[in-house]
Amino acid sequence: MSIKKYIGILSGLSIGAAIVIAGCSKGFLDKPALGALTSGQINNKDGLTALLNGAYAALDGQGQNNTAIGGGNPWEASPSNWIYGSVAGGDSHKGSSISDQPPIVPIANAQEIPANGFFNNKWRALYEGVTRCNNILKTIAISPTVSAADKKEFASEAKFLRGHYYFELRKFFHMVPWIDENTTDYRQPNNTDIFPKIEQDFQAAVDSLPATQPSVGKANKWAALCYLGKVYLYEKKYAQAKAAFDQVIPSAYGGPGAGGTTSNGLSYGLTDRFEDNFDAATKNSKESVFAIQMTANDGTNSIANANGGDMLNFPYNSPFRCCGFFQPSIDLANSYRTDPTGLPYITDYNSTAHAVKNDQGLKSDAPFTPDAGPLDPRIDWTIARRGIPVHDWGNHPGNNWIRDQGSAGPYSNKKNLYWQASMGTYSDQSSWAPGSAINYPIIRFADVLLMAAEAEAQLSNYAQAETYVNAVRNRAANPANILHKYIDDSHPMAGFTNTPAANYVISAYPAGYFTSATALPAIYFERKLELACEGQRFFDLARWGTAAQTLNAYYQYERQFTGDLSTGNFTAGKNEYFPIPQQQIDLSNGTLKQNSGY
Amino acid sequence: MSFKTNGLIRLCFFVCLLFSSLHLFAQKKITGRVISSADKQPVVGATVQVRNGKAAVQTGGDGAFTIDAGDNSTLVISSIGFDKLEIPVAGRVSLGDITMSTTNTQLNDVVVTGYAVQRKKDLTGAVAIVDLADARKQPVPDVVNMLQGQASGVSVVSSGQPGQAPLIRIRGFNSFGNNTPLYVVDGVPTQNVNDLNPNDIASMQILKDAGASSIYGARASNGVIIITTKRGTGKVKVSYDGYYGTQVPQGGNAFNILNPTEGGQLLYKAQQNNNTLQAGNPSNQIPLGNPIYGTGSTPVLPDWLVNGNYNGVAVTGGFKDGDPAADPARYFADPTGANYYQIARANKGGTDWYHEIFKKAPIQQHNISVGGGNDQGNYLFSLNYFNQQGTLINTYLKRYTIRANTAYKIGSRIRVGENIAYSSIENPQANNGILVEGSAIGFAMRENPIIPVYDIQGNFAGSSPKGLNNPRNPVSIQKTTANDRGIAGRLFGNVYGEVDLLKGLSFRTSFGGESYSGWNHFYHTPDFYDAEPQYTSPSYTEQSYNGYNWTWTNTATYNWVKGDHNLKVVGGMEAYKFINHNLGGTTLGSFSNDPNAVNLSTGTGTTTNYSNSNGIINFNPNSPNYQAPVGAGESLVSYFARADYVFKEKYLLGATFRRDGSSKFITNRWGNFYAVSAGWRISQEDFMRDLTWITDLKIRGSYGIMGNQFNALGTNSYTLYGSNKQTAYYDINGTGNSLIYGLAQSQIGNPDAKWEQDGNTNVGFDLTILQGKLSVSADWYNKSIKDLLYQLTLPGTQGAAIVPAYNVSKMKNTGIDVMVNGQTNITRDLKFTGTLTFTTINNKITQVNANGTPYFDVDSRRFNGSFIVRNQVGHPVSAFYGYKVIGFWNSQAEIDAANQAAAKASQGRVTTYQADAGVGRFRYADGNHQGWINDSSKSFLGNPSPKFTYGFNLGLNYKNFDFTVFFYGVYGNDIWNNVKWWTDFYASFPGAASSKTALYNSWTFDNHNAKAPIQDAVNGSNASTNTVPNSYFVEKGSYLRAKNITLGYTFNNVHAGKASISRIRAYLQAANLFTVTKYSGVDPEISVNAMNAQNGATDFGVDEGSYANPRQYLLGLQIQF
Repeated sequence: MSIKKYIGILSGLSIGAAIVIAGCSKGFLDKPALGALTSGQINNKDGLTALLNGAYAALDGQGQNNTAIGGGNPWEASPSNWIYGSVAGGDSHKGSSISDQPPIVPIANAQEIPANGFFNNKWRALYEGVTRCNNILKTIAISPTVSAADKKEFASEAKFLRGHYYFELRKFFHMVPWIDENTTDYRQPNNTDIFPKIEQDFQAAVDSLPATQPSVGKANKWAALCYLGKVYLYEKKYAQAKAAFDQVIPSAYGGPGAGGTTSNGLSYGLTDRFEDNFDAATKNSKESVFAIQMTANDGTNSIANANGGDMLNFPYNSPFRCCGFFQPSIDLANSYRTDPTGLPYITDYNSTAHAVKNDQGLKSDAPFTPDAGPLDPRIDWTIARRGIPVHDWGNHPGNNWIRDQGSAGPYSNKKNLYWQASMGTYSDQSSWAPGSAINYPIIRFADVLLMAAEAEAQLSNYAQAETYVNAVRNRAANPANILHKYIDDSHPMAGFTNTPAANYVISAYPAGYFTSATALPAIYFERKLELACEGQRFFDLARWGTAAQTLNAYYQYERQFTGDLSTGNFTAGKNEYFPIPQQQIDLSNGTLKQNSGY
Repeated sequence: MSFKTNGLIRLCFFVCLLFSSLHLFAQKKITGRVISSADKQPVVGATVQVRNGKAAVQTGGDGAFTIDAGDNSTLVISSIGFDKLEIPVAGRVSLGDITMSTTNTQLNDVVVTGYAVQRKKDLTGAVAIVDLADARKQPVPDVVNMLQGQASGVSVVSSGQPGQAPLIRIRGFNSFGNNTPLYVVDGVPTQNVNDLNPNDIASMQILKDAGASSIYGARASNGVIIITTKRGTGKVKVSYDGYYGTQVPQGGNAFNILNPTEGGQLLYKAQQNNNTLQAGNPSNQIPLGNPIYGTGSTPVLPDWLVNGNYNGVAVTGGFKDGDPAADPARYFADPTGANYYQIARANKGGTDWYHEIFKKAPIQQHNISVGGGNDQGNYLFSLNYFNQQGTLINTYLKRYTIRANTAYKIGSRIRVGENIAYSSIENPQANNGILVEGSAIGFAMRENPIIPVYDIQGNFAGSSPKGLNNPRNPVSIQKTTANDRGIAGRLFGNVYGEVDLLKGLSFRTSFGGESYSGWNHFYHTPDFYDAEPQYTSPSYTEQSYNGYNWTWTNTATYNWVKGDHNLKVVGGMEAYKFINHNLGGTTLGSFSNDPNAVNLSTGTGTTTNYSNSNGIINFNPNSPNYQAPVGAGESLVSYFARADYVFKEKYLLGATFRRDGSSKFITNRWGNFYAVSAGWRISQEDFMRDLTWITDLKIRGSYGIMGNQFNALGTNSYTLYGSNKQTAYYDINGTGNSLIYGLAQSQIGNPDAKWEQDGNTNVGFDLTILQGKLSVSADWYNKSIKDLLYQLTLPGTQGAAIVPAYNVSKMKNTGIDVMVNGQTNITRDLKFTGTLTFTTINNKITQVNANGTPYFDVDSRRFNGSFIVRNQVGHPVSAFYGYKVIGFWNSQAEIDAANQAAAKASQGRVTTYQADAGVGRFRYADGNHQGWINDSSKSFLGNPSPKFTYGFNLGLNYKNFDFTVFFYGVYGNDIWNNVKWWTDFYASFPGAASSKTALYNSWTFDNHNAKAPIQDAVNGSNASTNTVPNSYFVEKGSYLRAKNITLGYTFNNVHAGKASISRIRAYLQAANLFTVTKYSGVDPEISVNAMNAQNGATDFGVDEGSYANPRQYLLGLQIQF
């Protein structure tokens, strides 16, 4: 080949190809996203089904790889609200040593400041839930192939979930901005109470959701009614609340009608065993009105769907490994003292005569005999305490399982513990702290009964209120619900004897006990006992208006024993709500206003 | 087209020899041989021309030439790096050896710039030319490290970690994101030169201003480094270059940790402090002691550390000899970690955890190259082996690189060639990273020294006995990685062709890029010996990745010389494409702990897998479960042109233009970037002629716009929905163990994003005086960068999807770069050379977001919710921010007075002057003079960027001895020493290791003149001690480091038997021999966590356990055959 041909070929090819690329540069520069979908690919029934599932998936507040869904640590956005509902409400101590996760300390002491990043991450997680619901509603509007009936179903489930996320926001932060499927400017002011809009969402769900669902995890009409009743109760609209609860409580529990059912068609009721509500093997029972479905060993090699937000809340130096947080308070334990007739000491449970004996200040090798006085059996399904069986793990050894008694007292939380015998199935050990498949109950039927009792009492229907409360107490008194001693303390998996683990004495209130003076205190106290460590307490105290009085007394009492409440001082009119996160105010360009007092 | 066979200007891009052959007036053949004055070696490739004639030849490999010339003609001999020589033939036939003197001024040196080559004296842009001879003296594994202190305007921060890419910045910060410069290796743009063999490099130029680098348009904003690899020349040359040495970690008590006896004293002190402070509150008195030190009135060291269950009873803590708890017969360790009874002997003398993980380590490198060439072609092959064992155990970089560079001439007008290298790399880095909590180094400052490394049975001991808090055994963290493996391979290079089309016009096409792949696996076993075991079952992760990118460049160059005019025009187009794929999985559980038996298929537990394709290389050995966000491929199309004009060798003008299209942008896909530059060689003017001491003086200036698109992801424009199992799947059926497909918005789209624009002004001069004995280059620059792409934090109400980059920010950089070179012969045998570089950094954020908050905060660490670093308008990038400590609260009366004053100042609204104020705790400055302390009292506490950096190389040659020292220093920066958070506050993690400061220099009721606050076992951790960022952690970070001291000796022309060795040089070298600094930490040279290197721009200079640069001692040998 001659040189000229080389030249010709070389330059010809190059120039030619250069022209090709230049000519096609439009296509060459179009690079589609890989591994993701655009809105044009999901505006159909399957897409909406998946979006809806994604909206449910935000219930647990968890992102990937041990983060909260909007950033931060998993526990900052835990749906169990163990920090904001239980620790802030005096159910529990933060736990661990005082310097571990220090931002929780001011929350426990009603000294929170707007800059505390925990609030920001909780806020972000809840609004991510709202966003997912809004994306369903937006996509419905651009889905031509989806039938009207399907659209209605998708929309009503989305609204149920959005109602939940907003209810959480409303009870946390009081005045929050409303963002819905029509919002384009995300810097909305927080100058309007959103309760009416929450009502609308739940009402829409009540109107359109079916009574049962093909999937047990889905919300149904009855769950929407229960939630609507809860919203009314928070709004102090007692008559409407009663009307809602009347529809869902079966006559077996004192309701006026047939009552509601769970999504899988079980008539609402209380399980025989209180503990079944906190066991992954018995989840989605008749008591489960609406729960977050948790999974273990789900193929993700993570605990993101396995109560990741509560990963810290296991006894320390124990077979659960980590991390010694969420320790029930001494005040809570004392609340389970009953009188010889089996009724609680509603006002003076903390008196020296009634306080429950504990091992505070004792090392594990120092001898200790557990309290022998009468106790509500729920104590030992709520609190893990020295000398009492912890499921099939052995008797609680006391100090050895506690990171720092001086910080947070002698107790461990029990409602989130899995069983040794079934840990291979129901616990998830893929992270540095365990996860479990125990569902978190957003509303369980016992809660519904107590809410209904509250509405009735507020409407002066004391006998009806007492019926509901006694239904709850009778379940607690059911012999199936009693914790027993081990056959062999050194072989806890060998089973239990018939000997109760403690001196359990509990009874229903005698007929006519509830009066205008006694009903509400008894109902409030029953909520404390029944729903302890379920993230409810703070929000109950706040809406009852008793938070300042109750919590200031709690700080006063509890700080005799532990060092973590030294600054506790609840300011009425301020601390009932948490501050709007400073970061969000900064990002809002002045549209968000802080709650009063902060 | 027709071509003339004579009268042709040959143009070569790599040597830019410009020579012409004139019509022949052949009379006779003249021969000669050209040698160098310096080493008497042949000068290969020198051009020999007949003056005013057409004949021209090049010298061969032996320096010899033959040329047809007349008796009275004069030969003009020229070669790069040598003074031009004119030799009258004067009737001779053989001219014998002709000695050329090396050019002193180097002004005629040709340097490769953007798509062109230029003589140094014609440069109008700010171009730093790296003296490779100096740079190579550093025993560095990669080219970036070679630049530290060697080129003005460049700052390099390295760590001691083998294989960690150093942090390089050209003229400070240009964006909030990726600040890595663009490397152009043999014409191929890349951002990764980690595996480039430093021995293969022929030249390195750093293009700093718009005038020089704007031709690279879209990717020029961070600066451009032009690297040219070596060619073979002359007859076959074989050379060997190697060294072997040892690296020594810093000695002493690295973190100033208390021994176990002192640890007990601190425990008691902290408890007694609590009891004193709580004197009025009997119920808050705590008993002295803990499960390790007993409960007596004084701490007692235990003999044994025990943790386990015995007959169902938990036994945990410290025990004395003879205690049944320590009976070795009870020892039991279940490899699954579910059951155990562990007994370890307390290390009463104290375990030096730092030196349990940092050990002496060898380093070696061997390089063989073979090269040669003549006027028909050239070739170079090299083989490089580099093996650096890290001083941190089980970290190393083992790399093989082979290179083949060849070039051929086809006829007289076509040149083709290739430059290609393949590297194979094994590079395990510190498990869990560096400079962050969770690394082995981070735990070496935390693990209590009373814990031994191993228990009585040789298993790892740990913090599981109660009272030792929760650190993990740092030795186990590193040692359990011993079976991890990983290997990466990368092919990088290009092929090219050049053709001379017309006189002065040539065309070049180059196709190059990289193809890479890698694989690695990790195996973790249960660590029941730690108080908070990370793994309860064996966990095995395996991952691989591969990808490629290519760049195709076509350019036409036209060179026009007439009289005093010299014009060079280059025009071209370029296309670029990039895609990356990742694949991996994790499995839990395995039948045995034998690492050889485990793979993804043999695990007994859950297996997960992932795959994705994106623009991010997801090689992240420290984050096995990391799943990259969705991505897209990337592509660029560009058109560009440049013109350089020289008039009378003294007036210089340059202009460049580039138009870039990027796949990352949609509505603003195309960007235009231009630059103009001018220079005036004032020394060539008549009025300067008399100043003979000035050899050359040029003043230059440029202005232009550079672009940047690194900070937008490939998917930036798209609104996307993703289906992540952890965040969007849900167990809607209530199974408890399985998930149903779910979707959630994963990316918010910003289709309107566009190019970042960096407006750059540069003024400088190049001065050479005293015949090249001293030269100075200095530049002043001003960069004004707008439309910075920044991932705004959006309001939470918009959800948690990935936020796109928006063009919302601005910043400014100004500074001065100075480089001084000196060389002189002190005596005939004693030569001195010196280089000084000086670089200032002055960065200011001018806008974060016009419509939002004028700052953003990053890096919270243990200050949950409040941040160490604030990037704020009017302040430099990554400034430290927090409360300023002005002393201690020495009495309750002081606090009460302050509270009363606060109440007065606030009209009763504020009753607490400072949150958590307490006796012995920090008192903060009232930054905004409001009368009390809250969030708004915080102030800027320091700047991690130095005010300036400097380096100086001093060299002495005496006969065959050579001696050099190289110092590098930074001045005016601050370091956030977060190590102190762990060591100086007992309450941070009670029971873990603490520092001598905590015991001996903390506030007490008798000693108010202390460094650290009161050590309080119960309430010691609060907003007035260590839960908020404050100035206690900020230290001056200036340092001056003896980077390198070398002594060498050269033997010339050694004949050993039949072997003839032209040159042998042996040298001894010490690197990082000493450092002058006031910084109290291990190493003031703080890089970034490797996991975070790309995003390090807004967060750096935070020390939480650095991988210190070790001292190195090397013996090296260079042989040339």
